Amino acid sequence: MSSRVSAIPVTLLFSAAGPYADLGREAVAGALAGIAEINGRADLGVRLRPVLANPKGHDRRYAELAERAIRDGSRHVVGAITSSARKEIVPVVERHDALLWYAFPYEGYEASEHALYFGACPNQHLLPLFDYLLPRYGAKPFVVGSNYIWGWEIARIARELVEAKGGALLGDRYLPLGHTACGHLIAEIRQERPDFILSNLVGESLHAFLRAYHALGLEDDAFRPENRPVVSCNATDCDLTVLGRAADGHITTSTYLDALDTAGNQAFKGRMAERLGDGKAISSCFAAAYSAVLVLGTAIAEAGGDDPALVREIVTSRRFETPLGDLSVDPRTHHAGLTPHLARAGADGRFHLLEDTAGRGTGPVAADPYLAGAAARAALTPRSAAQAQPASLARGLRVVK
Amino acid sequence: MSGFKRLELAGWQAVILHRPHPSVDALMRQLAMLHIDARLVWPQLDEADAGADVVFFDADSGHDGQFPWTAGLAPMPMIALVGTEAPGRIEWALSQGSTAHLLKPIGSSGAYSALLVAAHSHGVVRRKSDDIRHLEDRLQQRPAVVGAVLRLMQGGERDEAAAMKTLRSIAMTWRMTIEEAAETICRDDAPASRRGA
Repeated sequence: MSSRVSAIPVTLLFSAAGPYADLGREAVAGALAGIAEINGRADLGVRLRPVLANPKGHDRRYAELAERAIRDGSRHVVGAITSSARKEIVPVVERHDALLWYAFPYEGYEASEHALYFGACPNQHLLPLFDYLLPRYGAKPFVVGSNYIWGWEIARIARELVEAKGGALLGDRYLPLGHTACGHLIAEIRQERPDFILSNLVGESLHAFLRAYHALGLEDDAFRPENRPVVSCNATDCDLTVLGRAADGHITTSTYLDALDTAGNQAFKGRMAERLGDGKAISSCFAAAYSAVLVLGTAIAEAGGDDPALVREIVTSRRFETPLGDLSVDPRTHHAGLTPHLARAGADGRFHLLEDTAGRGTGPVAADPYLAGAAARAALTPRSAAQAQPASLARGLRVVK
Repeated sequence: MSGFKRLELAGWQAVILHRPHPSVDALMRQLAMLHIDARLVWPQLDEADAGADVVFFDADSGHDGQFPWTAGLAPMPMIALVGTEAPGRIEWALSQGSTAHLLKPIGSSGAYSALLVAAHSHGVVRRKSDDIRHLEDRLQQRPAVVGAVLRLMQGGERDEAAAMKTLRSIAMTWRMTIEEAAETICRDDAPASRRGA
């Protein structure tokens, strides 16, 4: 394309207020950085104009603001952190033939043709996480989660995974989004003494829980993270920034980590340090929104316009170099193939890759949103106790700090 | 959270009784994601299709003669593909035994939940039918129970209650239902080894 097109509106629909505002602000920052990068590339000849919409954490506002954005000319909406918010946007983009760009881990069981998924689904987060944890810590976790579809469904899959290995969930408890009173959860965990705790809590609830669990660990060594870690598929570097030492030792899985030692990530971090100038770790939330926008801008440039059908066709037919890796989006599922990384929070408030996971299965994992593929079926199929690996492997755990 | 067990659908064989149509293409894409093999058939199913794990059928232009089984007695879950919501068509789709439906035009969602609902309902209906058949069999055997009670009274039991108690005890010892034990007593063919309950 030789001539510059006029600025194309792209709506960034994230909550910069409400119970998970930190994540929303990170995603907006990432998306804006992506737009700046696209606009700065003379070779693309495309200019994106960010339109910010802030539903402030109210699910119903997502649909209203998506309607308004599309009516005002946006055909692409980058947005939503929670699944309950995404479920509000999807019918709107479907009705108007627009496209939602979603870039946060979620529970799967969705594959809208009007959405592109850059966040991991369970075969890209929970399955690799449990594949690592169960042989090392045991198959009797306790699950805490935010009280909506993400917390419920991840707990259900977790139950299926541990029961397939002869284990059991010792409990699953939920907190409404934004609620921070978790003394009853801590008391129950203390009594049940699970092998580890899977947290599907989001935002402020996650922070309150980790602080309370940290306090329990100071009181009773049995609940220190080296003995009973809290593990999560949705904790990010921006949670660590808030939590500091309270998160030390806990484990997360993510498709982006600031700690990734690759030339591509170093270059990305260099550019972002220049832009942000604060030396903060780049969160997965920031990197995923940035990557989605990078793909969006590149595809719009290639399409010569923002026609959603054309953009979707380009996105699902080639590869894109992004901080999430060399991405391809499956035309059957509209989900990106992503590489799950496992990391432990350090005392420095940053995630560090687990050394004993380096080098294994490092390639991108194709998304399997309905857990119907062979690998997912194998993980969910009960095996005899004799085949299960012993928890004593836990002693072999080594962590790079 | 309940212990709900997710149904394993991968490897299922689906038959779609419908004319070629974009909605069918969309359904095929959804089924492929679930690793379900789907086959498009029109205008009618044959005996070989009775082995399918699930049948999706066109509720808009379908008719009774398209299925190789009695209406309502399909051996697998049936899912109606509904375009027109006219009550007559819905009534016909229900009469075929459909327990779930997908509204046309079909997009990129709906098949998974329709499969889970249809499979669950089909299982419930099947189990209830088995129970009803079993209870009907037992009802038919009631005269044998009366006969056995009379025979036991003739053999020395003091009244109906005592004879019934003995019959129950015999059934338990022989590991049969009361009706089966009664029939055996009436036929007077209980093996010697079974006597003496």
